[in-house]
Amino acid sequence: MAGTDRVSMNDALSNVEVLDELPLPDEQPCIEAQPCSVVYQANFDTNFEDRNGFVTGIAKYIEEATVHANLNELLDEGQEHAVMLYTWRCCSRAIPQPKSNEQPNRVEIYEKTVEVLAPEVNKLLNFMYFQRKAIDRFSQEVKRLCHTEKRKDFVSEAYLLTLGKFINMFAVLDELKNMKSSVKNDYSTYRRAAQFLKVMSDSQTLQESQNLSMFLATQNKIRDTVKENLEKVPGYEELLADVVNICVHMFESKMYLTPSEKHMLVKVMGFGLFLMDSDLCNINKLDQKKKLRLDKIDRIFKNLEVVPLFGDMQIAPFNYIKRSKHFDASKWPLSSSQTSSPQADLMVHLPQIREDHVKYISELARYSNEVTTTYKECGSDMENKETADLALRGLQLLSEWTSVVTELYSWKLLHPTDHHQNKECPKEAEEYERATRYNYTDEEKFALIEVIAMIKGLQVLMARMETVFTDAIRRNIYAELQDFVQIILREPLRKAIKNKKDLIRSIIMSVRETCADWPRGVDPNQDPALKGKKDPESGFNLKVPRRNVGPSSTQLYMVRTMLECLISEKSGGKKTLRKDIDGTYLVQIDQFHKTSFFWNYLLSFSEYLQKCCDLSQLWYREFYLEMTMGRRINKCTVRHHHNEECNDLITMEKRIQFPIDMSMPWILTDHILKTKEPSMMEYVLYPLDLYNDSALYALTIFRKQFLYDEVEAEVNLCFDQFVYKLSEQIFGYYKQLAASIFLDKRFRVECSAVGAYLLPYPRANRYETLLKQRHVQLLGRSIDLNKLITQRINADMQKSLDLAISKFEAGDITGVVELDGLLQVNRLCHKLLSKWLALDDFDSMYREANHNVLAPYGRITLHVFWELNYDFLPNYVYNAATNRFTKYRGILFSQAVSRDRPPQMSHHYLWGTKQLNMAYTTQYSQYSGFVGPQHFHTMCKLLGYQGIAVVMEELLKIVKSLIQGSLLQFTKTLMEEAMPKICKLPRYDYGSPGVLEYYHAQLNDIVQYPDARTELFHNFREFGNIILFCLLMEQALSQEEVCDLLQAAPFQNILPRPFCKEGEKLEAKQKRLEAKYQALQIVPNIEKLGTAKQAVISREGDLLTRERLCCGLSIFEVVLNRLRSFLDDPVWVGPPPANGVMNIDECTEFHRLWSALQFVYCIPVSENELTVEEMFGEGLHWAGCTMIVLLGQQRRFEALDFCYHILRVQRVDMKDQVIKRIDLKRMCDRIRRFQVLNSQIFAILNKFLKSGENDELSVEHVRCFPPPIHPSLSSQQHYHAPDHVRP
Amino acid sequence: MAVPSGRGENVQKQIQQDWVNREYIEIITISIKKITDFLNSFDLSCRSKLASLNEKLTILERKIDYLEACVTKGETLT
Repeated sequence: MAGTDRVSMNDALSNVEVLDELPLPDEQPCIEAQPCSVVYQANFDTNFEDRNGFVTGIAKYIEEATVHANLNELLDEGQEHAVMLYTWRCCSRAIPQPKSNEQPNRVEIYEKTVEVLAPEVNKLLNFMYFQRKAIDRFSQEVKRLCHTEKRKDFVSEAYLLTLGKFINMFAVLDELKNMKSSVKNDYSTYRRAAQFLKVMSDSQTLQESQNLSMFLATQNKIRDTVKENLEKVPGYEELLADVVNICVHMFESKMYLTPSEKHMLVKVMGFGLFLMDSDLCNINKLDQKKKLRLDKIDRIFKNLEVVPLFGDMQIAPFNYIKRSKHFDASKWPLSSSQTSSPQADLMVHLPQIREDHVKYISELARYSNEVTTTYKECGSDMENKETADLALRGLQLLSEWTSVVTELYSWKLLHPTDHHQNKECPKEAEEYERATRYNYTDEEKFALIEVIAMIKGLQVLMARMETVFTDAIRRNIYAELQDFVQIILREPLRKAIKNKKDLIRSIIMSVRETCADWPRGVDPNQDPALKGKKDPESGFNLKVPRRNVGPSSTQLYMVRTMLECLISEKSGGKKTLRKDIDGTYLVQIDQFHKTSFFWNYLLSFSEYLQKCCDLSQLWYREFYLEMTMGRRINKCTVRHHHNEECNDLITMEKRIQFPIDMSMPWILTDHILKTKEPSMMEYVLYPLDLYNDSALYALTIFRKQFLYDEVEAEVNLCFDQFVYKLSEQIFGYYKQLAASIFLDKRFRVECSAVGAYLLPYPRANRYETLLKQRHVQLLGRSIDLNKLITQRINADMQKSLDLAISKFEAGDITGVVELDGLLQVNRLCHKLLSKWLALDDFDSMYREANHNVLAPYGRITLHVFWELNYDFLPNYVYNAATNRFTKYRGILFSQAVSRDRPPQMSHHYLWGTKQLNMAYTTQYSQYSGFVGPQHFHTMCKLLGYQGIAVVMEELLKIVKSLIQGSLLQFTKTLMEEAMPKICKLPRYDYGSPGVLEYYHAQLNDIVQYPDARTELFHNFREFGNIILFCLLMEQALSQEEVCDLLQAAPFQNILPRPFCKEGEKLEAKQKRLEAKYQALQIVPNIEKLGTAKQAVISREGDLLTRERLCCGLSIFEVVLNRLRSFLDDPVWVGPPPANGVMNIDECTEFHRLWSALQFVYCIPVSENELTVEEMFGEGLHWAGCTMIVLLGQQRRFEALDFCYHILRVQRVDMKDQVIKRIDLKRMCDRIRRFQVLNSQIFAILNKFLKSGENDELSVEHVRCFPPPIHPSLSSQQHYHAPDHVRP
Repeated sequence: MAVPSGRGENVQKQIQQDWVNREYIEIITISIKKITDFLNSFDLSCRSKLASLNEKLTILERKIDYLEACVTKGETLT
């Protein structure tokens, strides 16, 4: 809008109206106190400045308004002095004192002291002057009102109340002055310095200084002066009795709104009675004369034993009574009794508060819905009245709850606990701690939180409806006022005119003229009532207008006071005006007077809404700070020889604030966090809002920067703590939830059957609402709670993964199954949390934890390889029967493995809780001690193609070094030194014992060879384990792939064959299925919806998936071929056979050596010796057989093997005897077993090696030799099939 | 205490005018209050939206960081 454009009023207003229609969504649930960045409060209180405008009113009351205005100003000033006293912080303690008179900078110190303290001392001087002035003024007023003539006249309610406020002010100031010793200390420091410097030279200043000193030093000075002055006024006690009575009346009929007004009434009762009771006057006698009702006051004092003053200061009003002259305990049965006050017990009030809350909230909700759904310009008079009543009731409820909270708090402060009453309270606990931290039971803390939440929650709701409320309030007040003035007052006016009661007539006329808003600007002159006549038969038509505005504060005061004088029991004359007014009119006027009492509050709705919900004082602790100051001594903690300087250090370390653990807002917040109570979790932001209240109070009422700074510092600390604790808790909760979901269901059932304690699922908690908070208002800052928690939980998640891997790194290879479980639980936890928090991608986090982002191989891969190399290959023993590797724990052929210690971690980084940790540890301990298919599967999953490739590549390097290193070396040595050059197959005629004996003799060197059974076999075992590892990995991988393919099938249009009943066509059924799952098929969908490039990619992906298993790529085959390439040394095959065909008896090839080794391990051992199976397992055989196959020596081995030969012969003669300490039968059993094993191994190897070849084709490459014919058999043409040679 | 009617009429008119004026002030006050309310809910709504925008940007930033790390293999992109 350009600056020059003029906008009409109507346009401007409709622009504002339009604002309402803009949708402004806020997606977070409201669980915090009223969040507002801009607060607008219009204040129309003029403090009677406009009184002269109402010249039509009765002059006396206009004069009285002037008095009120002045007195109000004094009251405001008094409030400032009270604030000054309460917030006084000791300055003198920080000021250095000259240690001796000889100190050279003594003068300088004193000068500075005076300079620094002078402005503070000035405040004290002003305070002294003020109290003098106020007491004088008060005494004057009392004197004026107590004049014998005046006594008979009526004194207005407002006047009495103002006097009451004065009494209250004196009580408060006196109490504060008594309690604050720092004020006196500071002044004496100043005085000492000033006297030294002779600043106060003239006698007047000296006198003033003396006065101030006396004033500050004398306890109860203000109280006593007031009393002294009053006692000079004759009949003052009657006026004070009126004041006390009106306070009792107002208290009992709840004619107050804010908690502080309520407390003021009680203080006035106590202090008023104290002032009245003197030598001249005995309150007990006044009670007898029914001028006072002490029994009523007694009950009030019992219900409110302690009245809050400021922050942590309070007054016990009954103490004034106890100190009065004629105190008689029998008159005060309740207050004198030892029973505890209802004020001390929040739980008594709680049910009622809850009920009121629910009732009111539902009413408000119904009304709020009505307002938002129906559009009305303005409601009817009736509706407006109901709404205004609703608003008033809301304010009253809020005020009531707030006073319950503050009164409890004050009572607790005055009744601190100790280690006898509360076992948790340590003996050396500080005063403030005993008054706050240890002074509330868990139940009370919850109740406090709940009430605070109700207050703050309702405040939000009512503030939202403020415009609706205030609109109805103004319309209602206007209507009621104008109807009363223009219509109802006509009747008494008519009567007064008729009966010539001039005074009443003029008062009623004044009322009408002061506030009537006549439709035509002036009162209707023709109104017959004005002439005391009856209305005409047809009725006198009066139309009272309607407006959206209330009366001004002065106007309201004038009307109410004038009406009050009509109905008052007292008047200046002989008889009261009441007598001349009809009873019905009196009732109407009285009713109006009562209703209109609350109009002032309602007209400043937003101000009072805030005042009724103000819980700021729960934080302030100036009194306790001053009390504790200096008493808490921290020892010098530095390790050195303590000296003088340490004493200075101690004084520097004096407490300037209490730790947050003693601070009410944090105590309550922390209580929710500590107990994790789900029903309270959503309230957790409400106690934090107390800081907002306190900060606002520091800024607007106390107006002290240092208090705000302290609140702010505490909030900074608390909020950090809050976020830290909350996010840790949330992470723990979700981890526990994930682990509980993941836990085997049958395991859980069995656990409970056995009676083992295992928590069920974690108790559902309402963290979601908290996690949705994106703008929490705290001290004017807006905080994105969700973001803060996300940051922390992201870090926790990362740490959790990191620790899972570290745990794996600290254990052997069997831990891989547990690692997988941990990763899965973390993944589930991540998934659950991701619903509310924008966490990083799980896979990225996992790769980061695995150090797999920058490096090609992760920690897991490296550790798997490390474990394979140092632990698995040298120490594990394979057994095909169980398909497991187990650890051989006897002789170790390698160095013991040393690993990092497992990291220390709290439960929530592992499985969530201690119980879950135990459950899972028990489960996964089943997987330790062996390596089986489960381990291979998880290794496959965790390593992935890349990892597997790396591991295998590295393993092949190990194999290479084995084959070309120690194995080759051994082979060479043994072939040259130990193997016989020729070793024949002895004939059957020798019998099996003979054959065995022959071989034993021939192979004696090998049998005796020291390293054969140890080092050599160990090397073969390592080699064999590698082969087995590769084989089993591939098996596991294939299964994983099959699963993948099956899962991918529906997306590739591969559907299982449907079942067909008779008469159904398979093709038709299949077509239907295809159509049904069309939406799942990736390629056609991408082709249809995606770009050409995407289509190509999807097609390629599809092809890759389809053909993954089709072309029969096998890792193991490649491994075998690689192994073959390592066997390039001539020693493996020996020189070519001399006969050009094959070696039969010569021991030059590797298989002959293996036969010799087989002979060695086939020799049965005695019971105490270790078998090779035990020590090396089948890896040994795998190594031997693989080498034989790869060298192409399998058939020769099978045909010519020594052991096989023994077995063949033994099978024929079935002999059994012990030769050379070898049991033949047992030996043969062993041979048979290994023979079967060997042929199985050969079969598997050949399957892989010859997978690409056709058996028939391979036969063509074989050169067939006719079998040699024995000369004796040459005549018989008999062919002996070579395959049938073997038994 | 009776007021001369001429002056009384004048005062009555003034008081009536006062009602009108105060109603006018009240209308302005209500409108300012409405504007404040609007500003407050606008503030909350904006904060809520900005927070979710911020969240999205943070995710993107972190993803970029991650991808950059993946791509560079240790060297930093400049």
